[in-house]
Amino acid sequence: MSELEGGEGKPNLTPILDMVFQLITFFMLVINFKSASLDLSLRLPVVGSARPVDTKGQESLLILNIDKEGKINVYGRPMPVKEYIQREATAALIAAQRSQPELKFGDELPTTVVIRADRSTPFKLLNGVIQECQLNGFRKFALKAMNKEEGKG
Amino acid sequence: MSRRRKHKSAEEVELNLAAMLDMAFQLLTFFILTFRPAPVEGQVNLRLPPPMAIAGSGTQKAGADFNMKEPPKAATTLVVSVFSNKDGSVAQLAVDETPIGNLRALDDKLQTVFANTEYDQVIVQVGQELRYEELMRVIEVCTRQRLRDGSKLSKLSFVEMPAGG
Repeated sequence: MSELEGGEGKPNLTPILDMVFQLITFFMLVINFKSASLDLSLRLPVVGSARPVDTKGQESLLILNIDKEGKINVYGRPMPVKEYIQREATAALIAAQRSQPELKFGDELPTTVVIRADRSTPFKLLNGVIQECQLNGFRKFALKAMNKEEGKG
Repeated sequence: MSRRRKHKSAEEVELNLAAMLDMAFQLLTFFILTFRPAPVEGQVNLRLPPPMAIAGSGTQKAGADFNMKEPPKAATTLVVSVFSNKDGSVAQLAVDETPIGNLRALDDKLQTVFANTEYDQVIVQVGQELRYEELMRVIEVCTRQRLRDGSKLSKLSFVEMPAGG
């Protein structure tokens, strides 16, 4: 009797801690820091033949989020198109020169420009960005699109 | 000695798991709140070189014109035109000079064209107001085409039509 009165009701926290650690491990594994560079407010066009491509990090990419007004957004901040692309091209050239020292300004860059443009962006604004990329030596492009409409099975 | 040993084994070390659990829950909350699964996006890979000089209409043989001894040094080009309405939709499609009714007809026409002729470049001439969504539909049809060597068409050049196109 006295044992019952004096005994403290201590819950065993070990199983709950195990479960919480398992959940933390799950979230740590699935977290994707790359998606921070994607402007998820953009509504991409829907193209049936667009397929996800996994470059396994082998290819250097320049991601351009272009809104319907033709502005480039980098981590949520609008950037001046010309200056930003020139700066990125210079960085891409320096990076490429490590493996190809003979590469000079104006040569074709190995970087792929990933264009994530809003579906209602007029062509003249999109083409302005593409031309700027071409002027700076980019030739490889990947046009992003959804495989199917979001929210539809 | 035996008394001391007995005393030691009776002592139980209890870890205070509550503090650890608090911290683990805080970490878990952080991960849950910042978890935003990236949408599965597809892509169309293209090579987009700037357009080269377009060859004149019809094939001109060297020496055929006595005033011009050398053949024109220009690329044989296929021009796909996409005219746009003010609202950004497709007004009219054309392959070279031939008007095309819709995307299916464009697909058929391009299949015929690529089966018979080899081109140095394919230029997609686009109206200024055309929406990216509409352009992607045209690009999808173009990239579906197979060239005479069996490879898929992936090299295009974009040209902007003058205002009103």
